[in-house]
Amino acid sequence: MEKTDILTFAGREFRSRLIVGTGKYPDYRSMRRAHDASGAELVTVAVRRVNLDRTQESLLDYIDTKRYTLLPNTAGCYTAEEAIKTAFLAREVGLSDLVKLEVIGDQRTLFPDNEELLKATRVLVKEGFVVLPYTNDDPVMAKKLEDAGAAAVMPLGAPIGSGLGVRNPYNIKIILETARVPVIVDAGVGTASDAAIAMELGCDGVLMNTGIAGAKDPVAMAEAMRHAVLAGRLAYLAGRIPRKLYGTASSPLEGMIE
Amino acid sequence: MELIVNGKRLEAAEGASLTALLNQLRIDPLRVAVQLNLEIIKRERYEKTALKAGDRLEIISFMAGGAD
Repeated sequence: MEKTDILTFAGREFRSRLIVGTGKYPDYRSMRRAHDASGAELVTVAVRRVNLDRTQESLLDYIDTKRYTLLPNTAGCYTAEEAIKTAFLAREVGLSDLVKLEVIGDQRTLFPDNEELLKATRVLVKEGFVVLPYTNDDPVMAKKLEDAGAAAVMPLGAPIGSGLGVRNPYNIKIILETARVPVIVDAGVGTASDAAIAMELGCDGVLMNTGIAGAKDPVAMAEAMRHAVLAGRLAYLAGRIPRKLYGTASSPLEGMIE
Repeated sequence: MELIVNGKRLEAAEGASLTALLNQLRIDPLRVAVQLNLEIIKRERYEKTALKAGDRLEIISFMAGGAD
């Protein structure tokens, strides 16, 4: 399956359907080992002022950019203007023209501000960015983002860092029915089963950071997530049996011993 | 001359170029993007960009972060 089942958006191809982050790891070494164990090919990074005190190590020393595609994010931005500015600076670094577009609307829930998100998506698409917007699990919004030129839509499963899993699988299903671009669940995944559920619904990928980085053993959790995404994807492609209220025997009724 | 770099006051040689400033800070130009007084400066212009006292610079790169 891994050879033929490829995640594609904006003309790029990825064998892994798992996208991982770089935040909250105990240290860069365990982050690198977790990335390795996850099998991910896309890694999201924040865009921030460099530390002028050069004694600190640089994140980029721990990501092989030949092996991983960088996905800069606009985390921490609260307006379209801030997010657009951040995206332009990120592109200027010269390592990626992708952007995981986040415009946060509320500090406590970290829910997106969809009005600003849509505005920023329109501008950045026009400017030639590959825009992957982080949005609510709202099918109407997902459609609007797709129409605005988003390369994929990334509905949340639950609030960022909450580990609550996919809270509204029915909305995700509706998004999947209408979307013509890849649907990637972004945020909320707490453990392997959450990732598997997202994939079983038919999502094209899952993005997570805290679920791996915050685990007691991030490297082991990264491996668990790799298996979960693969298992969920396979189960989706295999086609699950319908849910039934009553039992159906799987052994023949004939030939019973008298 | 005094510059404001990433929100902090910083002393640099009079008329220093952007390349000289990055050298002074031991920053690899291939890993950053620079905004000078709200304008993004293309990497090929670093050498020719002479800084003036009071210039405000933002030097950014990719840092650890997933979401939020």
